[in-house]
Amino acid sequence: MAASDRSRWPMFARLLWRSLTVRAGRVGVALGALAVGAAVVSALLCLYLDIKVKMAEELRAYGANFVVGAPMGGSERGVDQADLQRAVAAVPGERLVGASPVLYGVVRLDQGNAVIAGVDFPGLRRVSPYWQVAGGWIGVSFDERNAMIGRKLAETMEIRLGDTLNVLGEATGERAHLTVKGIIDTGDAEDEQMFVALPLAQRLLGLPGRADFALLSVTVEGAEADALASSIDAAAPGVEARPIRKISESDGVILDKIDGLMAVVAAFILVMTTLCVNATLTAMVAERAPEIGLEKALGAGHRAIVAQFVGETVAIGIVGTLIGLGLGFGLAQILGQAVFGGWVDFRAAVIPVALAASLLTALAAAVVPVRRAVRIAPARVLRGE
Amino acid sequence: MSAAVSAIQPLPEQEHPVIALRDLSRSFGAVEALREVSFSIRPGEFVAIMGPSGSGKTTLLNILSCLDRPTGGEYLLDGIPTAQMDEPEQARVRREKIGLVFQQFHLIPYLTALENLMLAQHYHSVADADAALAALERVGLGHRADHRPSQLSGGEQQRVCIARALINEPALILADEPTGNLDEENERVIMDLFRALHREGRTIVLVTHNPAFGNVAERTIRLSHGRLEGRG
Repeated sequence: MAASDRSRWPMFARLLWRSLTVRAGRVGVALGALAVGAAVVSALLCLYLDIKVKMAEELRAYGANFVVGAPMGGSERGVDQADLQRAVAAVPGERLVGASPVLYGVVRLDQGNAVIAGVDFPGLRRVSPYWQVAGGWIGVSFDERNAMIGRKLAETMEIRLGDTLNVLGEATGERAHLTVKGIIDTGDAEDEQMFVALPLAQRLLGLPGRADFALLSVTVEGAEADALASSIDAAAPGVEARPIRKISESDGVILDKIDGLMAVVAAFILVMTTLCVNATLTAMVAERAPEIGLEKALGAGHRAIVAQFVGETVAIGIVGTLIGLGLGFGLAQILGQAVFGGWVDFRAAVIPVALAASLLTALAAAVVPVRRAVRIAPARVLRGE
Repeated sequence: MSAAVSAIQPLPEQEHPVIALRDLSRSFGAVEALREVSFSIRPGEFVAIMGPSGSGKTTLLNILSCLDRPTGGEYLLDGIPTAQMDEPEQARVRREKIGLVFQQFHLIPYLTALENLMLAQHYHSVADADAALAALERVGLGHRADHRPSQLSGGEQQRVCIARALINEPALILADEPTGNLDEENERVIMDLFRALHREGRTIVLVTHNPAFGNVAERTIRLSHGRLEGRG
């Protein structure tokens, strides 16, 4: 026999291997439970690590989360466009998704009166990515020959894509001839409005250099929104920034709830895994009582018995984790596609966390069975009691 | 080695008995399984412990093999007082001083004959396949080294069990009804093996109902109702 047998580890490893393979059924159950636990933990962890990015993207798609306008109680309509520009400039570039000033007014079309909104089209498109547009977006902020029109207004006035609209600012007598480039469907008030470039709206309405407010889409979570509003107010004294609570707060609240839900699900699964592995190991100890009794009769001390069971548990835990990591990454992709419509990145940090969770689960499950194994009285089990 | 274990030292005498019992008792509640049993066994002796069912043979064997503790009296094994030992100390004495042979053989079913011997070496010190194979050859089973217990006859399993008891060179071999599950032919083989071991100078104590062993053993200790009846 090889000289390598002349150390304790090869015999320990041989015992471990033989003991595990001879009980393939029970070991398979424990392995399956740990693999499922590791799969759920690693899938949720992959999602957790990706979810803030995904959720931020999702929530940004629902529109602006800041409005910057005249301070509360001001008498004059709207604000100076330059103040809005300063306010927008106060938002850190990496956080600003998009921004557009908005100036509302009423103009006369051939078919009747209509509400127009002067906007910055590229900025508005980034603020409102969820708008359904038939035709196309107007790509530049200075386009004064095209307009976009809400679906309901278009239906009411029987306006179609490509139609030419004759627009008259009644207060100013200013006229414009605009081609309908896109028809907007938002399911909201915008469906009854017409959108034109801000400079044109200012001329039609006789409000040069003015806007009612600006819509901003900013990446913030929870309490950060108030801090950002304060910093905008400080940078642009003529305006006031207000987070749109329903979006910016829900951003943080939803993330917290999802984080909490994932933690609860992971904890529940790990508890179930622990119980399943515990039941399996307990059955294995009961089944192996004569074997354990014999080992003790041969002189195996408590440490040797504990080492054998812990060794087997760790081996099952490691293999279960490796299987679970593969399954978990697949599960994360399914969840990612179902919830966010996108792939979830694999993060290396998942491996040690899933391994630690699985091993802790397995070892926790082994505590009671190992104590039972250590307490086995060899004289009794060898007599068959 | 724990402090408690390292404190266990053999008696200083040159030729102390392998087993020395002084007024040994074992009670299970109100039931006295052993009462004031005293005897000693010298190195190289072959002793049979006999008695009817319920006489306390198994209780005595459990105490002699350090699988149980007496409730009274003293038991010195190879000069080491064992009566007050805790479980880890008992385990250490078992692996270093005692070789056990069981009526039911008690081999690990998923290990080969060789590996069953190596397991005893593993708990004693280090598994040595060459030494384990030599021990199997000593009982005439070198050619069955890679067979599992289910592939061996009862007599062969008992011979593996005896080889395992010998593998760590213990001071004492304790056997519990070693031929109880064997046919006549295998019984003869096992008895011959014990005779040979005795001739080599091994100290052997066996518990048996079998009167044939009483003839083979140098001395017979008889138990009745937990008391020592007499010496052969």
